[in-house]
Amino acid sequence: MREKVITTQTIADPKTSYGDGKAASRHFIAQRWTGAVNVLLVGFLVWMVVRLAGADRAEMISVVGNPIAGIILAVLLVVALVHMRIGMVEIVEDYVQDPRTNRLSLMLNTLFCLGVGLIGVIAILKLVIWG
Amino acid sequence: MVELLLPKNSRPAKGKTWPKPAGAKSLREYHIYRYDPDSDANPRIDTYFVDTSDCGPMILDGLLWIKNKVDPTLTLRRSCREGICGSCSMNINGLNTLACTKGMDDSTGAIKIYPLPHMPVVKDLVPDLSNFYAQHRAIEPWLQTTSETPKTEWKQSIEERSKLDGLYECILCACCSTSCPSYWWNGEKYLGPAALLQAYRWLIDSRDETTQARLDDLEDPFKLYRCHTIMNCAKVCPKGLNPAKAIAEIKKMMVERKVA
Repeated sequence: MREKVITTQTIADPKTSYGDGKAASRHFIAQRWTGAVNVLLVGFLVWMVVRLAGADRAEMISVVGNPIAGIILAVLLVVALVHMRIGMVEIVEDYVQDPRTNRLSLMLNTLFCLGVGLIGVIAILKLVIWG
Repeated sequence: MVELLLPKNSRPAKGKTWPKPAGAKSLREYHIYRYDPDSDANPRIDTYFVDTSDCGPMILDGLLWIKNKVDPTLTLRRSCREGICGSCSMNINGLNTLACTKGMDDSTGAIKIYPLPHMPVVKDLVPDLSNFYAQHRAIEPWLQTTSETPKTEWKQSIEERSKLDGLYECILCACCSTSCPSYWWNGEKYLGPAALLQAYRWLIDSRDETTQARLDDLEDPFKLYRCHTIMNCAKVCPKGLNPAKAIAEIKKMMVERKVA
């Protein structure tokens, strides 16, 4: 796909659109929501880390392996990754302007978030189900 | 990628030091960016000495004194010399402002004057503002209605009118947009603070009937959402306006209609 050429005429003509997408507000809202939810969930994470400081593996699994704690940790992981992905998209859109590098960076960002999310959720599931 | 350094042929070199005026009692040193598009030379920083007892107190007075009495080739835009037209916007001592409303005694030491940052330079202190004006045109800064035109005027209450205060006063000097890092990186796609301030001015005008269409047009990751609330725009506006707040209000309108 070729990059759309933006000229001052393109910009000045109200009949043309020179932007790149229509999901902007959705991303903006998602970033704020996930940010707000993260404040609560990270609070839980900090509490858990303090609670488990110095604990042995059996005690750690008894807390983290609790299904409710596991669900909260999994939700935290997913929400934090969604937030991180949107934040990185913003940075890539700001600074990486070559179309090919831009697309590659956006793709790697998504793959990284998916990978970390998948591994993290499987690890939590393992702790909850098998200990 | 973003370029953090100027291209080699745009980096300013040390320029000429012009002689001090004979018999002057009080002198002020000016370091001024000079660029001649007709020569292949790099831009340079020339040094001038202004006799402050022979000119007005503002930086523009000093520039015009230089142009009239020392170096007529010095090129700059100016018109009203009282902060109304926005022509003499430039970067003075690192801050975008109007030369006509900035006093020489607001700072000490040499006064450093550059054209507005990150814009193509036409000559000396004159930037090319074509893109900036096109962006202002893009937000369609005029009243748009769909209902029948009234026989007299489009009426507006005092309260409705007061919502336009702090918005309509913009003189399009471009100080805000050219101080915005997001505008530096994505100036062709991001509308910039000045255009968005005007976009909001028309979005909340009670007489305008195309609010949704105007919002549709701003629904874009670049036109509006490149603003990261850096606030340089509000810091430098020589009219004391707050484009960042206007942009935040547009984002609020976007969110409200999305979640409603």
